[in-house]
Amino acid sequence: MRYIGESINRVDGIRKVTGALKYVDDIKLSRMLYAAVKRSPYPHAKLLKVDISKAEKLPGVKAVITGKDVANRVGLYLEDKTFLATDRIRYRGEGVAAVAAESKEIALAAIGLIEVEYEELPAVTNAVEGLKKDAPLVHPDMKEYKWGPIFFPEPGTNISNHYKIRKGDVEKGFAEAEFIVENEFFVPHIQHCPIETHSVIAQRDPDESLTIWSTCQSPYAVQKALSVAFNLPLNKVRVLSPAVGGGFGGKAGTTLEGIVIPLAMKTNGRPVKLTYTREDEFINSFVRQGLHATIKTGINKNGKIVAVKNTFIWDGGAYTEYGVNIVRAGGYASTGPYDVPNVWTDSICVYTNHPVGGPYRGFGMSEIHFAIEQNIDMLAKKLDINPVEIRRINGLRPGGKNATGQVVDVCGLQDCLEDVVKKLDWENSIKQSPSKPNRVVGRGISCAYKAPSMPNNVASSAIIKINDDGTAHLMVSAQDIGQGSDTVLTQIASEVLSIPPNRITIKTGDTDHTPYEWQTVASRITYCTGNAVIKACEDAKEQLLGLAQLKLGIEKDKLYLKDGYINSDTQPQKKIAINELALGLSLEDGSGIHGPIIGRGSFIPPGVKNTDKQTGQGEKPVAFWTYGCQGVEIEVDTETGKIEVLKVASSFDVGKIINPQLIEGQIEGGIIQGLGSAIFEELIISKGVVLNPNFVDYKIPTADDMPEMIISFIENEEPTGPFGARGVGEPCMVPTAPAIANAVNDALGIRIMSLPITPEKILRALKEK
Amino acid sequence: MKTFEYFKPNTIEEVSLKLLEYGDSKILNGGTDLIVALNEGRSCPSIVVDIKGIEKLKEISYCEDNGLTVGACTTLNDMMNNRYVIGNYKILAEAAHTVGSCQVRNRATMVGNITNASPLADTATPLLILDAFVKIFGPGGEREISIHDFFISVRKTCLKAGEVVVGIRIPAYKEILGLYQKHARRDAVDLATVCASIAKIDGDIRIALGSVAPTPIRCRRTEEYLRDKDLTEIVIEEAANLALDEASPIDDVRASRVHRQDIIKVLVKRGLKELVI
Repeated sequence: MRYIGESINRVDGIRKVTGALKYVDDIKLSRMLYAAVKRSPYPHAKLLKVDISKAEKLPGVKAVITGKDVANRVGLYLEDKTFLATDRIRYRGEGVAAVAAESKEIALAAIGLIEVEYEELPAVTNAVEGLKKDAPLVHPDMKEYKWGPIFFPEPGTNISNHYKIRKGDVEKGFAEAEFIVENEFFVPHIQHCPIETHSVIAQRDPDESLTIWSTCQSPYAVQKALSVAFNLPLNKVRVLSPAVGGGFGGKAGTTLEGIVIPLAMKTNGRPVKLTYTREDEFINSFVRQGLHATIKTGINKNGKIVAVKNTFIWDGGAYTEYGVNIVRAGGYASTGPYDVPNVWTDSICVYTNHPVGGPYRGFGMSEIHFAIEQNIDMLAKKLDINPVEIRRINGLRPGGKNATGQVVDVCGLQDCLEDVVKKLDWENSIKQSPSKPNRVVGRGISCAYKAPSMPNNVASSAIIKINDDGTAHLMVSAQDIGQGSDTVLTQIASEVLSIPPNRITIKTGDTDHTPYEWQTVASRITYCTGNAVIKACEDAKEQLLGLAQLKLGIEKDKLYLKDGYINSDTQPQKKIAINELALGLSLEDGSGIHGPIIGRGSFIPPGVKNTDKQTGQGEKPVAFWTYGCQGVEIEVDTETGKIEVLKVASSFDVGKIINPQLIEGQIEGGIIQGLGSAIFEELIISKGVVLNPNFVDYKIPTADDMPEMIISFIENEEPTGPFGARGVGEPCMVPTAPAIANAVNDALGIRIMSLPITPEKILRALKEK
Repeated sequence: MKTFEYFKPNTIEEVSLKLLEYGDSKILNGGTDLIVALNEGRSCPSIVVDIKGIEKLKEISYCEDNGLTVGACTTLNDMMNNRYVIGNYKILAEAAHTVGSCQVRNRATMVGNITNASPLADTATPLLILDAFVKIFGPGGEREISIHDFFISVRKTCLKAGEVVVGIRIPAYKEILGLYQKHARRDAVDLATVCASIAKIDGDIRIALGSVAPTPIRCRRTEEYLRDKDLTEIVIEEAANLALDEASPIDDVRASRVHRQDIIKVLVKRGLKELVI
């Protein structure tokens, strides 16, 4: 292969490093207005009255809206939210009104003039408490909501999804077990912290069509949500996502667009912009859901896990339109990458009066693996076998069965495990001595798996048009959110068409001009959109070969593309350049046929089917699984409790590497994000109030915290993947935090059962030891 | 709406007069605290007086009689790279290096750091053990007060109406041995959970702690205990306990009181062990 497997430089690189790329907040339109949002100071309250009369009278104010202007309920999987509160406040910071004015300052002043009457209600500030019978209800009207058929809300409670796995007979399994252990873990809310905060501009044209510039991962999902919310046909809603400065899931779905549009409806064609502050980003976009996990595991004397009973209680926050699917993913993946014959899982999404939980890189997997991978180390200790061995015994292999009963087809988990063991010289070396006094060294390992957590039938499409000079434009609506999809998709097109990447320009993110893509989420773009691009390019190629057959007089099936020419082995002297056919074929009599070459490709993951509603069992519930393993070496200061992560070895089975340089960068990013969640990150929430919505008191890693990273790959090709590739963008973050937690145990003999693993928790555990 | 007057005089006298004229004024120096506070609405002054136009406030000088004088507008980066500071007051350079990021230190100043009167100010504890003097200009002319009289409480100094800090003077010493330690959640760009300056200055051990009380503190009783003692393990342990007694840390979003207490002992012990030859 010519382009697949090559470290092509990022096609968007020059624009990004020179600062030439225009993000939404860089866009300044003529006569633009600025929006501001009035937000609730209470986490749970009845909204009695919103008086906007004084704000409306302030000079410079052009529009003021309240919940009445955005009354339609929307949501990706469960329609449970309105863009502004209508009658009830469900988290502190929820919008109750919004203003568009000539300047940000006027908009903020107008917000101060809006008078709101609330009646404060008792709040649900803990998901476990929220399950109790006498808990206040966050959504008393749940029975009126609409939701997808694969979700199981329980109206009259705070449960917005109860996903079950019932595989085998757990009680029988526990009866056969030599040891049974039960452990509880807690994972707090964290935030994505993209360098670019959310930003939207909306403008209504005189013909009633709407244009929205949004820093979003999924222009088509935004378009659909807005169409539902405002009763607009899709052909009148244009969503552009010009560039995304980091997504990590936080810019999936729809957040602030629905506040700006109703303002723009009232400003007589003047565009309205709203850019979130960092504090908004922490509180009023998405956060990662909290998780209370209880795992009961039975193991026999040979180290084989025979039964697992999981209770995952997720703190979904005020709205779980997206979160219900995270809970589903956490359910069907609830054993981790292990072969367990008897499984009972309850994965429960609970409404709380906390910030809105939503997609975050890893989509439930980072959370459950923190529990699963520590639990399995604890089992190993019980049997006095080492952490590698217990994973060798129980880790999934081809032919095995996962939690949903699906038979495992391609799976390099054991290869990844051995790879990491080798890279860290796990079994031969003596632990190195610490670099300073009062420090101890620890090593930890963690496996991980993840599937794209998406509805079965999500669609992708691509268009490729060949230009007069043999260059091409590739059009997709997959968004490059930093993961490198622009480059990878271009490489895929280059490979099929033999046109070098610098002669193909990729265009993304414009629902008027680029074709449908469900969402840029779920580590699905290389796989799904990559397949659509292959199909589009094959379609264009078919057209080119058909014309070349006429021109060259050689049968189509003897022709192939190479270096921008259509060639054959039978008559190598006869060849024709792609550009000569780009606009159609000119015949000898001067007439022409066919016209411009435009290839189109559509893709839906094949054969992904619903699982059984009662048992969660099914033959193919997901498009594919990505497996991997990471091992870490850390040093802990036993007096201050501080952790330094020295080294991380990572190995994932990615099927086929499309771009070595980019995939390595993606893994590095995942490791650092995992490290941040392991030792720094937590939204500290007290009585519904986030106490640290800023980088002063919410810490993410700096360059100084980067460990040595040893990154390698296994390539067992994915049968339905483009050139055998599968996604890895999220999976690479999943094992980092549990591996660090296991290393803390190795170093100090203590178990920290909640994230983040702070110096304070370590010192407390050492004292209790 | 956020409106205020902006005034950038060329003389310190004009600064003082403006401060007297307007009750609710703010001085703009590096701006790394003030601009953030203005943006967040935590500070709403009616006038902002920019002192960066006064050239002599940017000076830094050293002589054996008076020691080191750092002008109010000397940036932390300029200060910590100054040869007298590196040569004679290394502990101050080390502390200054831990303030914010390099970009912040390009603007931030030591005078700003201490007039902000945060209990965790990185440059405060070295100034306390160095018995620094704060040079103040006010309606009565220029005066010098001890750093020990400067901090009153959290975010409160002894400055009176019309007064502005024009510099810090640190006496000359023959020998300063010791180090600045900072325990924070993250090694780079973070606020101290607990910080400590512990040094032997011309033969006397001096200890100051930050983020353990309403102001940065000198641990006088601990110092008294250590006078003329050999730094044996038992003595060091006892000193750490005494220092803990002198501190009164609180629970906040960064750490609990108990954790701060643990760290105080660790930092005091480590600081003293450094002094054992």
